[in-house]
Amino acid sequence: MIDPTHNQLFSSAEAPFGDVVLSSRARLARNLDGFPFVNKSSGDDCAEVTELLRKASIEVEDGISLDWIPIDELDELRAQLFVERHLVSSKLINNQYPRAVAIGKELIRSVMVNEEDHIRIQCIRPGLQLSAVFDDVYDLDKRLNESISYAFHKDLGYLTACPTNLGTGARFSVMVHLPGLKIVKDLGRIQNACKAMSLAIRGFQGEGSKALGDIYQVSNQVTLGYTEEELLSLIADQFLPPVIDWERKARMHIIETNAAELDDRIYRAIGTIKTARLLSLEEAMQCLGHIRLGIATNRINDIDINLVNQSFINIQPAHVKWHSDSQLPETDIPKVRCELIRELLHL
Amino acid sequence: MTTCDLCDKPAIYHDVRIVNNVPNTVHLCKEHAIEAGIDIAQSDFSVVLKIQEQSKSPIKSCPDCGMTIPDYKKATLLGCPTCYETFSGELDGVIKRVQNNKSEHIGSCPNQLGESTQRELLIRNLLKELNEAVQTEAYEKAAVIRDQIKTLHEQKDD
Ligand SMILES: [Zn+2]
Ligand SMILES: [Zn+2]
Repeated sequence: MIDPTHNQLFSSAEAPFGDVVLSSRARLARNLDGFPFVNKSSGDDCAEVTELLRKASIEVEDGISLDWIPIDELDELRAQLFVERHLVSSKLINNQYPRAVAIGKELIRSVMVNEEDHIRIQCIRPGLQLSAVFDDVYDLDKRLNESISYAFHKDLGYLTACPTNLGTGARFSVMVHLPGLKIVKDLGRIQNACKAMSLAIRGFQGEGSKALGDIYQVSNQVTLGYTEEELLSLIADQFLPPVIDWERKARMHIIETNAAELDDRIYRAIGTIKTARLLSLEEAMQCLGHIRLGIATNRINDIDINLVNQSFINIQPAHVKWHSDSQLPETDIPKVRCELIRELLHL
Repeated sequence: MTTCDLCDKPAIYHDVRIVNNVPNTVHLCKEHAIEAGIDIAQSDFSVVLKIQEQSKSPIKSCPDCGMTIPDYKKATLLGCPTCYETFSGELDGVIKRVQNNKSEHIGSCPNQLGESTQRELLIRNLLKELNEAVQTEAYEKAAVIRDQIKTLHEQKDD
């Protein structure tokens, strides 16, 4: 069985543009031909789709090998761990009918079965690696298509339950860390750039969430009428290069004009983590964000940036429980989180 | 002479408007216009007609899954692949709005498509490449693409 604490994924230090881009993700939405979409499916339809996908994912071998996990066999804590790692969505967990997820051993790939669409293939990698994650999902898509026939329309492309996913069914996204632009109050620029390029910008945990730790998620809004390469390039070649440049310049500007204030933020964050007795997720994420900024700008060098990246995930509620006690009451999480974060960062 | 849409009498009111998202020409005789509660001097009878037309038409449902437009509006999800055919008129505007006015898929395709569909999609992709080649003044590349398209068109005629 998969170890949900496996941490390779968050090693952004060596990854391309890892100082600003935390991770890259690609997702493909697909539906089976000849079945109603999930929201109009009966329990029997869902069971049949699940069984077809189980067989198809077992056949996916050759370096990938997916673990097949029916959601009803997954205990609540483990399910939440996967949600916090973005390998599974809350929607999938909360659905009632037969559903499952196939997860790759390295915890970078997953295939959700009977979420909003019959199939959601996704892959996450550290740093800016959109082409690599696209290759991963494309490969899985083709392999599943060998035994499964997809719903497709020559003009509308892959047919999805929601018209916002038509065409390629492809959604690319990147997690970017923008503390510099936040400090110089220039995030409006990012919002404008997103608007101009039809990109959506969200917080760390997706739709409607706050940008905890100054981390933002940016993804393509349009999926129809452009090739996958064009959609990918919109983020990788048009959006990110100027944004990375702005963020780096903002960091430089802060060092040149107000190093004391920057250091104050960084050392206060370290101080908080060293001495706090209760840490909310929000405060912990903010501290981690400032420490990460300190490492990226070379103001501190005795903390490993990869440990900080991993901590963003490992201090989420289900992970705190996983590290300590699966029965831990919700009210004890802020207390245990303090001990855990010190242990994770060796502070 | 144009007759009334509701009887055989000559129409004295003519209007072109959008009814249920479809451009519609409406012709009415005097009696039917008055019956519809329209003041001849007023020009707002389009609204009255729109409401009548909607309440009269039976609610269309998808033959494969039973989905209706009110269902869709509530769930914001379609019920099955056939819904896209059933409600193509109603969905056209929605799709264009959420998809940057695009309505033709390009990019990768599943492996199960028939030969003619495959060819059509291939031509569509090539036309786009051709356009890009011309814009960047890559004329040699453009010539190659043009030949490819021509070959595909010839296969179509066979
Ligand atoms: Zn009449
Ligand atoms: Zn339907």
